[in-house]
Amino acid sequence: MDHATQRKWDNAVRGYDLMNGHGPERRWAPWKRQLFEAMEGKVLFLAVGTGQDIQFFPPGREITGIDISEGMLAHARSKAERYDGRLELRHLDVHDLDYPEATFDQVFTSCTFCSVPDPVNGLRALRRVLKPGGTIGMFEHTGSRCFPFSLILDLMTPLTRRLGPELNRDTPANVRQAGFVEVRVEPVYLDVVKVIRAVSPG
Amino acid sequence: MERRLYFLFGDLVSNAGVGALVGLVVAVLVGETWFPVLGMVVGMIAGGGVALPAAVVLSVPFGAMELMLPVMLTGMTSGMLLGMLAAMGATSSGSAGALGAIVGLVVLVATYVLNAYVRASHRPGMGC
Repeated sequence: MDHATQRKWDNAVRGYDLMNGHGPERRWAPWKRQLFEAMEGKVLFLAVGTGQDIQFFPPGREITGIDISEGMLAHARSKAERYDGRLELRHLDVHDLDYPEATFDQVFTSCTFCSVPDPVNGLRALRRVLKPGGTIGMFEHTGSRCFPFSLILDLMTPLTRRLGPELNRDTPANVRQAGFVEVRVEPVYLDVVKVIRAVSPG
Repeated sequence: MERRLYFLFGDLVSNAGVGALVGLVVAVLVGETWFPVLGMVVGMIAGGGVALPAAVVLSVPFGAMELMLPVMLTGMTSGMLLGMLAAMGATSSGSAGALGAIVGLVVLVATYVLNAYVRASHRPGMGC
């Protein structure tokens, strides 16, 4: 368990829902709902946080939600209890996944790989627990190739890194580097907010 | 382009408001005897400094990146323009606020157009 990251997110619990639960969630709701609609089979949801994304899960699915922060999970539990399906929450670091290889049919993330300290190895860990041909669906914000947005995100990252996310990562490149194939990227806002879909090779 | 009225309203008010605020701050900060390039640089830094906390606060009701990026750009751009004009003695406080608001609206429209272009023509591996 990465205790520094765990502490960072435990400290971020206060005010997390206030900062993220209104504008951002409402703004991104249509895209998240559309992405998660594809959930099928045994699903792993990485970084379930305070459970804000649970409202977008389609009913009747079998989902395991994990998070590095026990504080975040404490907030997520009441939302998980209201979910109309099987939703198990576990306190786990993506780098310490204790599931056997090829356990899950699908993995989903939501604004997660801006924060995982070692994103490529984190993605490799997800690929290990995905069945061959299994898919990963990610709703992520990344860096930009477009000036001046690239400059703004680079300037803001040293500040935001202390509180949680990094704003200038190239997550699609990290997905490819982790060995996923058929990587497809759909822009949601500029080239910054995007949906990434990829397949674990057979 | 964003079509939900709530977010359209939020985007408009946020960018116009931050642009106006930056215009007023920069008009007070930059002296008429300054070298215009120095006025631009100080205006850009001051604009970014005003826009950052404003963007964080405004993102709570109106969204994250879709709000923060145009507002930050509005702050820096209106700061540069108004800093240069203030150094040239070409603007009053009142007109600086109005001009800052106009810059905010122009930045917002530009980001809407760019966003529509990126979403309509996205090709993996291409630039912005």
